[in-house]
Amino acid sequence: MRAPSLVLLGCVFACSLARPARANPLDAFGFGSRETAMAGANAADVQDFSANYYNPAGLALARRMELTLGYMNVDQSLYINGLNSGVDPVRALVGGLVAPGVIAGVPFAFGFAIHLPDDRLSRVRAEPQDQPRWELYDNRNQRLYLAASVAISPFPWLQIGGGLSFMSSTTGSIDIGGQLNIFQTDNSQVRSSVDADLTAVRYPEFGARVALSDKWAIAAVYRGQFQLGLSLDAVLHGNISSLTTAYYDLQTTSVNNFLPQQVVLGNSWEPLKGLRANVDLTWVNWSAYVPPVSEVNVALNIPPPKGGWPASVTPPTQPAPTSILPITMHDRIVPHVGVEWRAFESEHWEAFVRAGYEYDKTPIGAQTGETNYIDRDRHAVSLGLGGRAIELIPELPRDVRLDLHAQLSELPTGTTLKTSPTDLTGDYTAGGHIWNLGATLTAGF
Amino acid sequence: MRALAAVAALLVAGGACAFARTALASPEDILGYGTRSPAMGGTGAAHSEGFEAVYTNPALLARIREQKLTLGLEEASFDLKATGPNLPGAVGYDAMKSIVIGVDIPIPLRGALTDRIGAGIALSTPTNLIVRGRILYPEVPQFSLLPDRTQSVSVRAGLGIDLGWGIRIGAGFGALAQIEGSAVVATDATGKVGARVEDQLIATYSPTLGVSFDLPFKDGATTRIGFTYRGPLAARFDVTIDATKLSTLNIPVLTIAGLAQYDPPEMTFELARSKGAFAFALGATFKRWSSYPGALEPTLTCPSTDPQCSALVPATVNYSNTIVPRVGAEYAIHATKKMVVLVRAGALYEPSPLPSKLPSSQAYSDAVNKAVDVPTRYFDANRVVATVGYGVAFHDTFLPLTLDLFAQAHVLVPRTIESDAPNGANGPDNSVGRVTGTVLSAGLLAGVTF
Repeated sequence: MRAPSLVLLGCVFACSLARPARANPLDAFGFGSRETAMAGANAADVQDFSANYYNPAGLALARRMELTLGYMNVDQSLYINGLNSGVDPVRALVGGLVAPGVIAGVPFAFGFAIHLPDDRLSRVRAEPQDQPRWELYDNRNQRLYLAASVAISPFPWLQIGGGLSFMSSTTGSIDIGGQLNIFQTDNSQVRSSVDADLTAVRYPEFGARVALSDKWAIAAVYRGQFQLGLSLDAVLHGNISSLTTAYYDLQTTSVNNFLPQQVVLGNSWEPLKGLRANVDLTWVNWSAYVPPVSEVNVALNIPPPKGGWPASVTPPTQPAPTSILPITMHDRIVPHVGVEWRAFESEHWEAFVRAGYEYDKTPIGAQTGETNYIDRDRHAVSLGLGGRAIELIPELPRDVRLDLHAQLSELPTGTTLKTSPTDLTGDYTAGGHIWNLGATLTAGF
Repeated sequence: MRALAAVAALLVAGGACAFARTALASPEDILGYGTRSPAMGGTGAAHSEGFEAVYTNPALLARIREQKLTLGLEEASFDLKATGPNLPGAVGYDAMKSIVIGVDIPIPLRGALTDRIGAGIALSTPTNLIVRGRILYPEVPQFSLLPDRTQSVSVRAGLGIDLGWGIRIGAGFGALAQIEGSAVVATDATGKVGARVEDQLIATYSPTLGVSFDLPFKDGATTRIGFTYRGPLAARFDVTIDATKLSTLNIPVLTIAGLAQYDPPEMTFELARSKGAFAFALGATFKRWSSYPGALEPTLTCPSTDPQCSALVPATVNYSNTIVPRVGAEYAIHATKKMVVLVRAGALYEPSPLPSKLPSSQAYSDAVNKAVDVPTRYFDANRVVATVGYGVAFHDTFLPLTLDLFAQAHVLVPRTIESDAPNGANGPDNSVGRVTGTVLSAGLLAGVTF
């Protein structure tokens, strides 16, 4: 019984590295074309690179090494009062590796997966809290996903796996000193120093899969909580055009890309040969959400110069610290339903047709006050095609798979009514749709 | 089919070059990389095995025959001193503690491509950091080329192809993150201060290209030469602070920028020979430090309409190119049929690229209300590095494990670094510093084939 010991060691190792964690575009738009086409209902039915995300235990089902490379393009057409909000697209390379083997007589597999956005690894953006924004789509999906996992199969009917994902937060201090020339700013004599750390954020994911029969499997997956932090302390000191001295300390702290912990229960059933039907239910702990508003504290000390300030200057006064208004979020259970049909099968070729549906009821409470965290219920319908070539040429991989997906998310337009008739933003309507297209190419050796 | 392999290799190399941008910084440039190389004087361009070849020479990844997962811990401590007038003596730095994950991946193609292609993925990350960006004022005593450069994640991947005739080629890349951001602070009509803060991590990549050639000697030994090119590695910090709308005070937009991490372009040439239980390697690495622009960037730059404005400009330090000679050896003892004990040792000499006489820097002095000279207190010294290592490998056992331990002692060769500041706030402010110190590092890595 070395297998449980190995898992225990793996879990201990993962836990020892883990910190509070997680947020990624994979929850919103899926990972891998096969799985996205099945609306992510894959906790009990996954064994390729995307198992790193859907259920690491599935890696232990792999029987040969696989390399996958793909691309996804998500265009978000979201509107407020009929105007396109200009929410950034999500465009990313996706890929990964599954390497199965045997350790101490127990089937073992290592997996690695990456979602690498075209433009950035991550973005932390903190805006004034009354600024209208698509809270769950605007910035949270602008980030890297990088994960490594291991899995074993101590019994033919049981697979257990766990993995770590990696990201970083930013903490730093900036010191700016010198002379500010408020009459000729180009002649200011200022310099700066930086002491900043990108601190590691590692977060775990664990999963198990149990095959109840040849045609029926169930799974459970836990994903931890994740957030990116930005803590910046900028100190400006020196003199102002030889009139007076100045000390200005700006401290800003914010949390971004928060994604709550999740528990997934999955079910995969093969009612007919070549036809698979999957259902997953994901509990999402949205009530723990932290809004991405920067907490700003400013210390300011600029004594008036002898003779007073020039008439053209109104000196800044000590501002009050930011008061962050709470956001009301509700826990949600998200259903995912997916089907896969092997439409064609021969010695060297196979073809698949896939479909799926996911319903995300918005977790954000009514925005009737000062804040404007906009969201709507989401209905996501997906379709996909897959083709597999098996042992065509000896020098090529044993099988090559091409999977395509298309997903349309509809966010029905609704109206938000403000309690106060003097609200600066006022009532608004919001809604839209999101197209997600992509493909993955997998080589199995 | 060899033509196919050659085409594939060219595609790999081209892909790596296309993927490469300006690039990154790495602890491996100081401490070495992997299981064997750090114990063998940082050699490996002609003899590396397994995932460490993603750094030492990706061509050698083609030698991988078994899947292997390696986990390990590494640590380095710094005892660095700068002594002299107005100098602190010991300059404190955090120890580096790092976790290593490496994967060996043979690509199991068949036919003419059997046992010709291998890949490696490796992640080395400080236990609590991804990157440290510390860009200090130049008059603050600092060893900017040594300790903080180890506080950085290293993500590497590569692919090696055996073309036949003893020739292997390979390509890979390293990746790191740099920071770009902005903070806009403003006061609204009601007098409330609000801020819009944006901070992006941008990936930077660096190519690693390698080739190796097994010389056709017929003496029962393996004699191999290896050549590796690593691109420059650079991670910037670039944040703008805009407080122009905080009040009616006319405050310029401030740019807080600099090069937080940097490794220069490098080329390594190495000869390795192994016969029976003994392996030996001798090589040298050329480091093009003259391309290093320095860490500091101006906070305010003069507009094109007034290029002679009085904004402060960081001093320009002329770093020198260096050549690092290395030597390493390994002896294998077959303790039992299934257990091999490996003893390793090596040495290297790392010249410092920092000149002994540094230009002064500029700072604004509140005491005299004008810009003055301050000494540039950067310190570094040539390092003599001795390395040892010990390994145990279990073959054909129930649990095929490898354990590798290495230790390094870096001794800084004492030197004096001067910087004259003739126009200080209180007259000439010259700095003369005597540099001494040691760096100790060790690592333990465990691997399992599966």
